[in-house]
Amino acid sequence: MKKGRILVIDDEYGIRTGVRQILELEGFTVEDAETGKDAFAAMDRSTFDVILIDYRLPDIDGLTLLQAIRSRELDVMTCMITAYANIETAIAATRQGIDFFLPKPFSPDDLIGVVETLLRHKAIREEAETLRLAHEASLLELASEKSQTHSLVENLRDAVLVINREKEVVLANRAMASLLGSDEGSLLRQPAAAVFAGETFSRVRETLGTSSLARTVFDMEIGERQYMVSICPFHSDKREVLGHILTVSDISEIRRLAMEKSRFIRTMIHEFRSPLGAIKGILEVALDKSMGGALESYLPLLDRAEKRLDGMVELIGNLLSISRIEMEGRTGAPANPTDIAPVLAEIGELYRERARTRNLTYETELEPGLPGIAVAVDDLRTILTNLVGNAVKYNRDNGTVRVHVCRVNGDVRIDVVDTGLGIATKNLPQIFDEFFREKRPETRQIEGNGLGLAIVKRLAERSFGRVEAASTEGAGSTFSIFLPAGS
Amino acid sequence: MSTTKKILFVDDDRDFLSSQSIYFSTRGYEVLTAEGGEEALKLLEKEVPDIIILDLMMEHFDSGFTLGHQIRKIDRLKNVPMVMLSGVASATGRRFDREEDGLGKWSKLDAFLDKPITGKQLLKVIEEKTGGAEKAR
Repeated sequence: MKKGRILVIDDEYGIRTGVRQILELEGFTVEDAETGKDAFAAMDRSTFDVILIDYRLPDIDGLTLLQAIRSRELDVMTCMITAYANIETAIAATRQGIDFFLPKPFSPDDLIGVVETLLRHKAIREEAETLRLAHEASLLELASEKSQTHSLVENLRDAVLVINREKEVVLANRAMASLLGSDEGSLLRQPAAAVFAGETFSRVRETLGTSSLARTVFDMEIGERQYMVSICPFHSDKREVLGHILTVSDISEIRRLAMEKSRFIRTMIHEFRSPLGAIKGILEVALDKSMGGALESYLPLLDRAEKRLDGMVELIGNLLSISRIEMEGRTGAPANPTDIAPVLAEIGELYRERARTRNLTYETELEPGLPGIAVAVDDLRTILTNLVGNAVKYNRDNGTVRVHVCRVNGDVRIDVVDTGLGIATKNLPQIFDEFFREKRPETRQIEGNGLGLAIVKRLAERSFGRVEAASTEGAGSTFSIFLPAGS
Repeated sequence: MSTTKKILFVDDDRDFLSSQSIYFSTRGYEVLTAEGGEEALKLLEKEVPDIIILDLMMEHFDSGFTLGHQIRKIDRLKNVPMVMLSGVASATGRRFDREEDGLGKWSKLDAFLDKPITGKQLLKVIEEKTGGAEKAR
């Protein structure tokens, strides 16, 4: 057992030193005081586990001293030792919060027994205090967890509402309140049927009315927006419904994207069916020998069929590119910046023959000391192939295709300028949209699927770049790509 | 005495127009073609075809309907049968039935067919609506 620190306060020298000797022999650390004044000085100096107090001291009486000790709120056990033991003194001392009462005369064993008991009590009291503090701490933690959960639910983007067995609202978060055009407070204790009144919520009322234990999920429209409603019952061990949790999620954006995708697919189907219809018609005429048996008369038609097939192959390639760009998302800058000069030379080579037959001039103009570009070389090649390809395709005979590259702030700016048909001002905002093609008598003859510029835009944007188009109808177009310079 | 029946094809696909021209002209029909609504209306100023075959999706996704509506407003053309072709409707699960949404009524279409379509299939519909290549006078 751990030995404690004891303070003996007694004006009788014999008792004071006797007690001290006995306790010191038992291994306790003991100090003694002759007067109240000495006692306070000792308590100022150090702390004690047990204080033994004589009832009668020359400068202060025991009860007053006890009171003074208590007022110091010390973590100490007190014991009154006195020869004047009587019931009244005992009661008075107990009232003052004395822990024990030891009447004189006492044997050394009595003394040791009392001190040890007091120390044990003190240990128990301390343990109880520790437990109390721990309990308080865990209660605090629980309370803060509860408030965390509450603020989590409160701030959820989804609207949440809980209904009890009596079909009254017991919880509604901010999103739910705003969805219902109310505030959280005034929804509480309201009947669910009143909260979800009106035709819009008929399905909600209907679901809450059933005793089904299964989760119900359905879509709902409020005004312009679409929502997904989930109603989940919670139940007792006996499987009786105790209430419902309602979650309402805004799915307008998901819907919009789905609609956009379906529009894309619809246009894509049209883009496939048109050439298929044309090819089918051509093959029918040829197989059917509508114009007699000579193959030669069908050659121009069959040549067209082949061109349309090429167009379909290109369309598939472009669709695959779009899908790949979508799947890959942002790719981040490549390990090594891309040098534009060899890419431009490669593309010049690619279109050399076509440019020559139409007598087009291909010029590249690179500002000296250009930095590399923070874009994957394949992406840059695709961007430039499409832009230069368009500049060739939509040009007039004897025209010019000029690629000008310079540095603008932290970007490399690439301008692809042609002297071709141009784009009508009203169509410029749509020019980068998927499948958009200008339908003008002059452009009718030009093959294309309207995906090239959409791919260019996506590729530029995924490398944190951007695209711009400027044009004068009939006088040519300039496509400008801004891509971040490599570090 | 009989004269040849006239078919007007309105479609923005030039290859489709050329194959249909050959298919039907070699089968005794006179074929007129227009690559868009404007061209068709201009042609119809002096021509009265025996049947008009329209593509739904030309300049816009519903150009065919707009054109059909304009044609029906022309008094001397109001009895000319009109057949609408579309490459989109059935594939997206949305069929433009003649009655659905009143679209059929709106432009008073006589048939709605899916693309791609063969000359043979079209011939059947054209014969049915016009009574064959030759017409009695």
